[in-house]
Amino acid sequence: MTEFIQYLVSGVALGGVYALVALGFVVIYRASQVFNFAHGELLAFGALSMVWMTAPAVSEEDMLSIGAPEVSGLGLPWFAALPIALAATGVLAALVERVALRPLVGRPVFVSIIITLFIGALLRTAMILIYGAGGMPLATPWDPMGSFQIGDAVLGYTSAAIIGASAVALLAFFALLRFSRLGIAMRATSSDQETALALGIPVGRVFAATWMIAGGFAALAGVCVAVRDPQVDPTTGFIALRAFPAVIVGGLESPTGAVLAGLLLGVAEVMTAGYLNDALGDMGRNFHIVMPYLLMIAVLIVRPYGLLGQRKVERL
Amino acid sequence: MPTRKLVTRYEDDLALFPDRYHKLGLVAGVIVLGIFPFVAGSYGLTVSHSGLIAVVGAIGMMILTGFAGQVSLGHAAFLALGAYTVAILGGTFGWPFWLALPVGGLVAAGIGLMVGPFALRLEGLYLAIVTVGLLFLVDHLLRNGLDIAYGKDYLTVPMHTWFAVDDPSGLGTFRDDGALSGAQKLYFFFLALAGGAAWVSKNIQRSRTGRAMMAVRDRDLAAEVLGVDAARTKFVAFGISSFFAGIAGGMYAFAHPVITLEPFGLTMSVGYIAMVVLGGAGTTFGAVWGALAFVLLLPLCELAGEALPFPDTFSSENRAVLLFYPALCLFLVFEPLGILGIWLRIKRYFMAWPFRY
Repeated sequence: MTEFIQYLVSGVALGGVYALVALGFVVIYRASQVFNFAHGELLAFGALSMVWMTAPAVSEEDMLSIGAPEVSGLGLPWFAALPIALAATGVLAALVERVALRPLVGRPVFVSIIITLFIGALLRTAMILIYGAGGMPLATPWDPMGSFQIGDAVLGYTSAAIIGASAVALLAFFALLRFSRLGIAMRATSSDQETALALGIPVGRVFAATWMIAGGFAALAGVCVAVRDPQVDPTTGFIALRAFPAVIVGGLESPTGAVLAGLLLGVAEVMTAGYLNDALGDMGRNFHIVMPYLLMIAVLIVRPYGLLGQRKVERL
Repeated sequence: MPTRKLVTRYEDDLALFPDRYHKLGLVAGVIVLGIFPFVAGSYGLTVSHSGLIAVVGAIGMMILTGFAGQVSLGHAAFLALGAYTVAILGGTFGWPFWLALPVGGLVAAGIGLMVGPFALRLEGLYLAIVTVGLLFLVDHLLRNGLDIAYGKDYLTVPMHTWFAVDDPSGLGTFRDDGALSGAQKLYFFFLALAGGAAWVSKNIQRSRTGRAMMAVRDRDLAAEVLGVDAARTKFVAFGISSFFAGIAGGMYAFAHPVITLEPFGLTMSVGYIAMVVLGGAGTTFGAVWGALAFVLLLPLCELAGEALPFPDTFSSENRAVLLFYPALCLFLVFEPLGILGIWLRIKRYFMAWPFRY
């Protein structure tokens, strides 16, 4: 039982990250009907910016000495760097939308797919150029080894922080969507762009705001990944590929679905790794990585639009 | 120059090369392609091998995405299936290449038909992401299956015992003999395959099957109302497309002495979609020229990338990405029809000459 609770806790922590990533995808999809394959790179950008900003500044001579830290950064305090990283990633996301995706409105769906994939590759390469291909650790303001005791299970400070941050971000987003002026504009735009424009909603600015919010989610998810993993590098963004099933299982249009499915699949993945991998013998190696995809396929057979997605009504 | 030849017989309508200009183009093409392997160096031949592989793969992608409108990001999985089938049949069971290749295609087609039912229920992005899942599943199965069967996830392909004259093992050799070197033999073999694929694709495009696919692409509900069996059409599209992908994978295995799972990833799938869009979606012309342009531009970008003032630790692939992808993005944004669009503009200019629109 202890083991089960332990897996549940780590599953929720992983699911929180998936939920943040999936929500980023959904927010963008709702606004501009684009599935942003560059989301993972935005995530990595957020994480790497955070590393760079928080790393202590090291002078040139010290870099050469043995045992010196590998990264020389700005040495900003952690909680001051976090909002800057989120904002910077948000601006980058808005820029991507404005420069590359706005001209593609009305083109077939696969054009925006490959454009975002290319931008992802481009961002990844640019990050290698700027930050180097090597991994860099992100220091945490809390003791990375410390933990709470819940019954018999152990909840690490890091997991707790990830769960807490995801929860706060998700609640803030839903509040924004529900109560604020911007949230209403966003909902109107996603329901019908032309009508929204006719009613005086600045659709272009709503797009920019939406992408900024999604970029912020990506950066937050990146920071969560960075505190969880020993190191981050430009390929950290591939974790977004593993959040795809959460987007689809939840339904492309549904933020609630994305969060639910993210948590569900995170727990399922950890449980699979804990219980099922060994049971499958040789075929079970890394089976937990494909498990979310198998679940996604199973869900889609029953519900082709995901758990909470909109069923499309077609008229001729 | 008349804009179109006056058609008086059904045979004229059916002809693949209807008039003198098309026939001239055909002859010129055959001459260029025939002379090329004797002029090109070994690097040129290697690039041409990749180009011809890409042509076959892109034709597969074009049938699925360009004709039938089903976006699949799992194309690389079918290539992997073809490549590994060929490698296992040739390396472990000693099958001759001419038998292993079609079987590789059929294995891929079989898996492709298993994806078909999903395509019947899913649309656009949902299908695209399910096929990403397929990529991971096939990778997982191949990686672990090979690990169990061989204890490794790479395989050697017996290409050097193929294309034979005399070999004690009875399988023949791929060695340089007589007039042709091994690479030249491979070139002509690939050329025949690519030509055959283009011919099949062209004929699919202008026959009942292809027209049904295009109707489904434009509006599947409307096609269904008009009597096109949309489900069957999508199914067929997946089958044919993954067959060609399997063949391309088999060709990939021929061209590489050792195959690993790494290249068969999302990047390869994206590359194939890019070829289709680069060439001009919905035409065989687009698949062929898109594939060739894609394969030829990448080495060029690597060369040009050397000139960029970046630290030496920055690899040539990364430099190429920085040049190639922005160029491709700009091209896609400003030339929706791709290379086909440019070609049509040139053709129209000469057709209307000396007048201008």
